[in-house]
Amino acid sequence: MHFIARLALAVVIGLAAHPAAAADKPSLTIYTYDGFAGEYGPGPGLKAGFEAQCGCTVNFVGTDSSIGALRRVQLEGATTSADIVLGLDTSIAGEARATGLFAPHGLALTGLSLPVKWTDPEFVPFDYGYFAFVYDKTKVANPPKSFEELIAKPTTFKIAIEDPRSDTPGLGLLLWIRAAYGDKAPEIWKGLKPHIVTMARSWDDAYGLFLKGEADMALSYTTSPAYHAITDKTDKYASARFDEGHYAQIEVAGMLKSSKHQDLAKQFLGYLTSVPAQKIIPTTNWMYPVVDLGADLPAEFNALPKPAKLLSLDEKTITANKDKWIADALAAIQ
Amino acid sequence: MLRLEGIRFAYAPEALPYRFDMVAQPGEISAVMGASGAGKSTLLDLIAGFLLPQAGSMTLDGVDLLPLQPEDRPVSLLFQSNTLFEHLSAENNVALGLPRPTRRKDAGPLIAAALAEVGLAGIGKQRAATLSGGQKQRVALARTLLRNKPVLLLDEPFSALDDETRVAARDLVRNLTRAHDWTTILVSHHTEDVQALATCRYRIAAGVLLPEGNTAA
Amino acid sequence: MPTPWPRSNSQPKVLPPRPLRLLGGAVIAMAVALLVVLVLWSIASAAYGQPETAAPLPDVAHLLRMSAIQAALSTVLSLLVGTALAWSLNRLRFAGRNLVIALFASAIVTPGLIVAFGLLTVWGRSGWINAIANVLFHTSIDTPIFGLGGILAAHVILDAAFAARILLARLDAIPSTRLKTGQGLALTPAKRFATIDWPALRGTMPGLAAIIFLLAFTSFPIVLLLGGGPANQTLEVAIYSAVRLDFNLHGAVILALAQIGFCSIIILAASAFAPIPSTLGPSAGQRWADRGFAKAVQWTVLLACIIGFALPLLAVLAGGFSSNLPALFARPSFPSALATSLAIGTLSALLTLVLALGLGSARAATLRPLARIGLAAPAYAYLAVPAVVLALGFFLLVRTMGIEPATAGPAVVILGNALLSLPFAIATLGPPLEAVASGQGKLIRSLGLSGWQQFVRVEWPLLGREIGVVLALAFCFSLGDLGVISFFGTQDFSTLPLLLVRALGAYRTDDAAIVAAVMLVITVAAFTALPQFFARWSDAQA
Repeated sequence: MHFIARLALAVVIGLAAHPAAAADKPSLTIYTYDGFAGEYGPGPGLKAGFEAQCGCTVNFVGTDSSIGALRRVQLEGATTSADIVLGLDTSIAGEARATGLFAPHGLALTGLSLPVKWTDPEFVPFDYGYFAFVYDKTKVANPPKSFEELIAKPTTFKIAIEDPRSDTPGLGLLLWIRAAYGDKAPEIWKGLKPHIVTMARSWDDAYGLFLKGEADMALSYTTSPAYHAITDKTDKYASARFDEGHYAQIEVAGMLKSSKHQDLAKQFLGYLTSVPAQKIIPTTNWMYPVVDLGADLPAEFNALPKPAKLLSLDEKTITANKDKWIADALAAIQ
Repeated sequence: MLRLEGIRFAYAPEALPYRFDMVAQPGEISAVMGASGAGKSTLLDLIAGFLLPQAGSMTLDGVDLLPLQPEDRPVSLLFQSNTLFEHLSAENNVALGLPRPTRRKDAGPLIAAALAEVGLAGIGKQRAATLSGGQKQRVALARTLLRNKPVLLLDEPFSALDDETRVAARDLVRNLTRAHDWTTILVSHHTEDVQALATCRYRIAAGVLLPEGNTAA
Repeated sequence: MPTPWPRSNSQPKVLPPRPLRLLGGAVIAMAVALLVVLVLWSIASAAYGQPETAAPLPDVAHLLRMSAIQAALSTVLSLLVGTALAWSLNRLRFAGRNLVIALFASAIVTPGLIVAFGLLTVWGRSGWINAIANVLFHTSIDTPIFGLGGILAAHVILDAAFAARILLARLDAIPSTRLKTGQGLALTPAKRFATIDWPALRGTMPGLAAIIFLLAFTSFPIVLLLGGGPANQTLEVAIYSAVRLDFNLHGAVILALAQIGFCSIIILAASAFAPIPSTLGPSAGQRWADRGFAKAVQWTVLLACIIGFALPLLAVLAGGFSSNLPALFARPSFPSALATSLAIGTLSALLTLVLALGLGSARAATLRPLARIGLAAPAYAYLAVPAVVLALGFFLLVRTMGIEPATAGPAVVILGNALLSLPFAIATLGPPLEAVASGQGKLIRSLGLSGWQQFVRVEWPLLGREIGVVLALAFCFSLGDLGVISFFGTQDFSTLPLLLVRALGAYRTDDAAIVAAVMLVITVAAFTALPQFFARWSDAQA
């Protein structure tokens, strides 16, 4: 077996043949989270789409999380082989920007269709969604309509959430509560405490617990029911609409100053926000596209309820207070 | 000639000190008697090198044995039990006595000959664990043949055997000692074994090894 | 010349001198220790180039206390249950016994996440037990599966089953003569345990307890999933967040040192115990079953353990048989991930075996306490080194050496997992190697066997089964690895656990369940087949 032989070689001499890349083609390396790069994610489709037009090779490098991708670039500094970091979100964009590793994208980015006006000079959005609690309609007849209603439910009503330190939806929930309740946020956390069945490391675990029936609701996205509608052909899952409003997660990509392929990277970011690329996103990353796809957006997405109100926090406030807010929330549910 | 002169040993400063003096000749069987715990096994451990004396000298034909590690001493040991690796076949147990290096094609005939000499031709493939007590001792003797060391130490070798087997085993030990000119030292508390085999006798009493007067076997 | 007391050693020198083994062991121990130092050094030097972050360090004393209480409870429970289970399995004979043993043994290497989900399938709010309770009694049982109860339950499943496997091997190795003597004396089951079984088990206990304690102390996915929140945390979790989230490398090094320091005390305490020599190899078919009350207790223990331990794993298997099975197998990613996982597992297992034999046989060749600690402690240190720290350190080292992480990936994953399995391998091989050295040492010395002859003729035939167990352990550890691989994965480097996580992360719980079941099948197969295969192979050459 060729692979085994190569592996054995790698072990013996500590070196393996580089991934075969045609010598004359430039190669664009993109660090992202594993789920994006993997076979279920948008990675393969985007790679094929961009390679068809760029005369280059796209190389997705998956790490365990989007924060992991950023950390890796930080560790590697100027010697990184990455040209683009993809998958950061607006909650940690400030921290990423502060590293000074990212270059302006210089794209006009007209024709975006986002819940906010996009003016970021360094990061390019490629999808978005609203954090929400997802429930099973066949099991939960009266979903809570606010955090206060959720707290008022009997303590047998359980939610699975994510750890804000390890997972972007977990951080999203923290910011959501903070945006809605300000300094009263710790009280909300205290109220949530008896309902929290677990604070999982990742979205996968929390959502998995919910699907197994261990929790009545899981923190996910308003777009999650679209997955179940399209792939599982079931409409029994829905997201609970909260009166306080919902917090948006906008996922972004940015090119690195150290990249040797600035033009190519810029070209990719442009492609990322183009209609052909955006068409891949909804049914692979299960988030809203950042451009209006019209009839190309699966109907299940249009059927999803939009939040009554959009909550947001500005980047500087987040970066300055994130650690304290996390400590407060954890202390409240300890 | 194996000579022990003024060998002194104690397990601890406050424990009973042993004192061993003896001379043993090739082709003869020196028997050492004594009650349980008298120090018979200590004597063998000293000769085999598992214990080092605090004083005295030990020579074989004038060669000092004391500096030699157990594996380098010109000695073969036959214990009461645990003489063989139970998980190995008789053949493989005997093979451990082959001088190194022995070529693979020479090993087979040598092992077969040794087993034949102790009267066990044809059981080479059997696991040691499946052999009878007498057979095990004979396999161990076959291994001793291949090792061909001048001194044979026997630590109660027949005590686990029934009467008929022990007579045969005794004869074998006597014949081999004579045929190969071994200096054999037999430790036993069994008077019958001693009477049948010993060419000279010793007894350990109060930690001291004393001759008992020689008899012809 | 008379020489004064105490020139000579008054204890018989039954250990064969093995300078080459000692040298080999020392080289391995030093290399392994050096690697820990290098890993921490590379992180520390990366931290040096990093501005001091404001992120506050968590309360280390509190974390230590919490982790220690949880770990101590897990250890005591695991050893109690493990001993009871080993005792029952040693006495009982039934069809499928080997499979049951393999299933128990495989628990320790089953990825924590899979065990946790299996546990939930059985004991959870919507689990099997509650489904039955609902049908029978029209009520749900409120099982304390989240929080400390859940953590302990999951740890006991993982660790008691492992303990039982190790202890069972000791019990099965009790020589038949000893059993015959006991049977002849008509010992009561309790007396029998105290006089025959316990002495055979005792030598293994300190090492086993240390391993279980450290496993529970550094537990990660289980604590996160079943812990129910930040109230139940371990130091390992804090280290993970310092490295991956806060990017506080200073803090990570401090926390890692705290963890390694604390665990080292445990390790040193355990390795200072000279294991009591135990006997070797399966006994020659001597069967002595208990009767009456004891037998009833044994069946009860066994059934309870099957329901408690095996059922969650069976639940994982059952979950895998879904309609998506052919579709997943047909994907090109599946065979390639399978091949990669198998190749990495095999190479990692072989490396582990070589290292463990080197260290274990060196340790068995000396009685000096310091040398014994020095030979074992570095390997045991990998129980204390967090996987995320190991992965980060390797990543930085590889880059310092100027090698592309993607290129070094497979080699690092193989090496990293071999190091992480090393403590288990030594705990498995150590006692029997010691038993050979002390039990057969006199015979070996009197025959003047060389080290090589000792290995080929004595150790290999007697240790075949243990060697198989070590290979199975190490193989399965790397098969389930997610920690080391996290820094080194690329799009063309995929393993089964990565496939599983990708499926979970993409809502594909069905596909994830299939991959989990496949991994479990491979794990159980490895644990059934490898020990038996090696036992037969080595035995055939005896």
